[in-house]
Amino acid sequence: MTDPKPAELDVSRPRQSFLRNLSFVWLVPILALVLSLAIAWRSYSERGALIEISLSNASGVTAGETTIRYRDVVVGVVEDVDFTTDLSRVVLSARIDKTVADLLPEEAMFWVVRPEVTAQRISGLSTVFSGVYIEASFKPSPGGSARSFEGLDDAPLTGVGEEGTYVTIRARDGNRLSPGAPVLYRGIEVGRIETPHLSDTGDSVVVGTFIAAPYDRFLTTATRFWDTSGFSVSLGAAGINLEVGNLSSLVTGGIAFDTLFSGGEPVEAGSVFELFADEQSARQSLVSGIGPNAVRFSIDFDGSVEGLTVGSPIEYRGLRVGEVSAIAAFLTETTEGQRVRLRATVALDPQAMGLPADAGTEESVDFLASEVEAGLRARLAPANLFSSALIIELAETPDAPPATLGRPEKGYPVLPSVQVDLPDFTATAEGVFERINALPVEELIDQAISVMASIEAVATAEGTRAMPDALVSLIEDSRALVASEETQALPGEIRAAIAELRGVVDELRARGAIDRLVSALENADAASANLSTASERVPALIEDLRALAAKANELGAEELVASATRVLDSANALIGTDEARALPPALTAALGEVEATLSELREGGAVENANATLTSTRAAADAVAEATAALPELSARLDALIAQSERLVTAYGAQSNFNADALAALREVRAAARTIAQLARAIERNPNSLIIGR
Amino acid sequence: MQTDDLENAGRTQEVLTARRAGLTGCRNCGRVHDCAAQVCARCGSRIASRDPHSLQRVWAWLAAGIIVYIPANIYPMLVTTTFGKTSQNSIVGGVIELFHHGAYVVALIVFVASVVIPIGKFLAIAYLAVSVRSAAVIRGHGRQKLYEVVEFIGRWSMIDVFVVAILSALVQLDFAATVNPGIAAASFALSVAFTMLSAHSFDPRLIWDAYEADDI
Repeated sequence: MTDPKPAELDVSRPRQSFLRNLSFVWLVPILALVLSLAIAWRSYSERGALIEISLSNASGVTAGETTIRYRDVVVGVVEDVDFTTDLSRVVLSARIDKTVADLLPEEAMFWVVRPEVTAQRISGLSTVFSGVYIEASFKPSPGGSARSFEGLDDAPLTGVGEEGTYVTIRARDGNRLSPGAPVLYRGIEVGRIETPHLSDTGDSVVVGTFIAAPYDRFLTTATRFWDTSGFSVSLGAAGINLEVGNLSSLVTGGIAFDTLFSGGEPVEAGSVFELFADEQSARQSLVSGIGPNAVRFSIDFDGSVEGLTVGSPIEYRGLRVGEVSAIAAFLTETTEGQRVRLRATVALDPQAMGLPADAGTEESVDFLASEVEAGLRARLAPANLFSSALIIELAETPDAPPATLGRPEKGYPVLPSVQVDLPDFTATAEGVFERINALPVEELIDQAISVMASIEAVATAEGTRAMPDALVSLIEDSRALVASEETQALPGEIRAAIAELRGVVDELRARGAIDRLVSALENADAASANLSTASERVPALIEDLRALAAKANELGAEELVASATRVLDSANALIGTDEARALPPALTAALGEVEATLSELREGGAVENANATLTSTRAAADAVAEATAALPELSARLDALIAQSERLVTAYGAQSNFNADALAALREVRAAARTIAQLARAIERNPNSLIIGR
Repeated sequence: MQTDDLENAGRTQEVLTARRAGLTGCRNCGRVHDCAAQVCARCGSRIASRDPHSLQRVWAWLAAGIIVYIPANIYPMLVTTTFGKTSQNSIVGGVIELFHHGAYVVALIVFVASVVIPIGKFLAIAYLAVSVRSAAVIRGHGRQKLYEVVEFIGRWSMIDVFVVAILSALVQLDFAATVNPGIAAASFALSVAFTMLSAHSFDPRLIWDAYEADDI
């Protein structure tokens, strides 16, 4: 090992000046310090504000993990879960981002979002994995400094910031209204309903409804709400109509609205709307809509109100002005003791009664009070022929005992009512047919037939057979008479009549009167299809009869015989036609058909049939009425004819067989005339009896 | 540096040091130069018999390392989102959680790598820097060993950071699970880096100067 030769080495201590020795490396820790402090300061300044939320329970909330979200953005986290001092509620302490906390107003809402599966929707599904979170809803307001909040148990229907209009809907019941059910406008969900609750009087259900902007501008006084829950099947003239709402409203119920006519005034928040059972009734309500300012009255009835239901219409001079909103029984003290009376609460639309649209309750009540003074009474009336449903009529009843509009301190004003005899449904419907049956139509026909028989008897009588010979001699005499100067002076008309008579006599001689009559019967044309056309022909017959009578008066026997034959022909043609004979069975068949239709209806048959039947019944009734219009005239003419005929026959002289037969025939004819007159009077007295039966 | 370690072991006082011999070794390539040389003739790096700013740099880097080590322990290291549920874990919090879950070995490894080693390094470096002036307590060879261990072990502390980096890169499964590094990850990485720089700044030749000073 060789020692290395030590080199010159400047061994000196490092310079001691601290500042000059200072290395730039020191910047690094300073920088690190600044950085760390910056981080610390930033996290401190961003630490956020501590708020307290009290909840009824804190299920699923974990301190340090449960987040607070606003519009689904995390704005804070729960730091502590504690109780109020009396352990009645849970208090969550949460740190909220400063930016958010500065805008927190006092009415901010907080609720726990949990997974929720309802018929309507599935919500909060993300919380199945992530755990619950707390959703905040508020309208940011600068300078908000609230730090303590009451949490909600359930999510509110509408966020604080949501624009829209709250209206109240009055429904008959809350069966199909579930909280949160959608409100649809032309099938689009535009709002939600809140939890329904009973009205103060308990006769309806009111539910707050929120219509979100901008759809709330469709709400006007012309708006009608109706129930779209489930589906509805209606059978009408247009066939079966099936309406199904959207699936959500099928399950949870829902309501829809539409503005059914233009010109409605915009509504203010808090307006009250009626809820109709379906769209159809909502649209029908327009004719006599129950407006938002409906006035409620009570009407007491003594008797049964079977057939009157909630929703039954109230009619005022035939116009629908309201509907029954409730029916109840109550006890009253009278001089004879306690009595049960039935009270219907009705909602009347002042507008439908002609009052101004903005008429208040007072105005409407005053109006009705004055009407009651003038004799207005409520009474029950059947809704229509084919149903046992009742309506309430507000009718002027002049002979009713005086009464005033009751104004009790509690409850609604009481409208006085009068009792009426109500034919029940069967009585009403069957009564119509009974009355139709009771009409002396068949009797009339029988009479006519017996007249025919009498005439036939006359025609077949020996005396009549002997007539031609007698007539020939009569004509011989007549010829002598004609040859005379006086006869020459007779008008040409008489000559023609004599020629005609001769032709008749010739024909009678050639074929025999009976054959002629029979062939007349056989060849009768089919002019009379019903009583109406038959009666049209009756005046012609009467004209003939009158002409006969006139001629007989002027001429005597020859003309009479010829004319009588013609009359008989015409009468036979009329009465003996198959159509005329077939009339009573046809009527009976028609009645049978109506009855069959009715029973079919009772079994739930088609309304269409009913309509058709009604139409045909009405047409038949019209025809009958038309026919009967001619009847009085007919009977009058018949009477005149008979009087003349009797005079003639008496003038004819001897009490021959023919005379007696003819007189009997004439009596029959008179009886027929009376019957016709009876029928006419019966129909005239009460033309509607055929149709409405009362 | 040490020309004949084996012979001189335990007898430091009698050794002729390079400094006394008027020589300087290049710390980069090992070539021995004359004391007057400023730049290594072979590799061109700066050479000096003793680095006059060494201790200053040690202290500065050490301070920086300690400073950033504080947020590394306060702030979350990992932000884990599993099925929408976010959890944040600081280093010690993670260790405690692992311990609660019964993963004692893993908890121990994390604890050692993230807490024991960094703090040990701070202490070791600080001790070395302080003890440069005095010859007592631990002998030169012990201190030299300590320095070597600190130098060697420093990089392993980065394991934590690597784990976080790899997890963050791999576990990005959107909804199911997401891992993101927290502020602490960056702070810890800086802390490790600063301590390594601090250890690297230490001139181990200073350890022996104390003995020479004793001699003089």
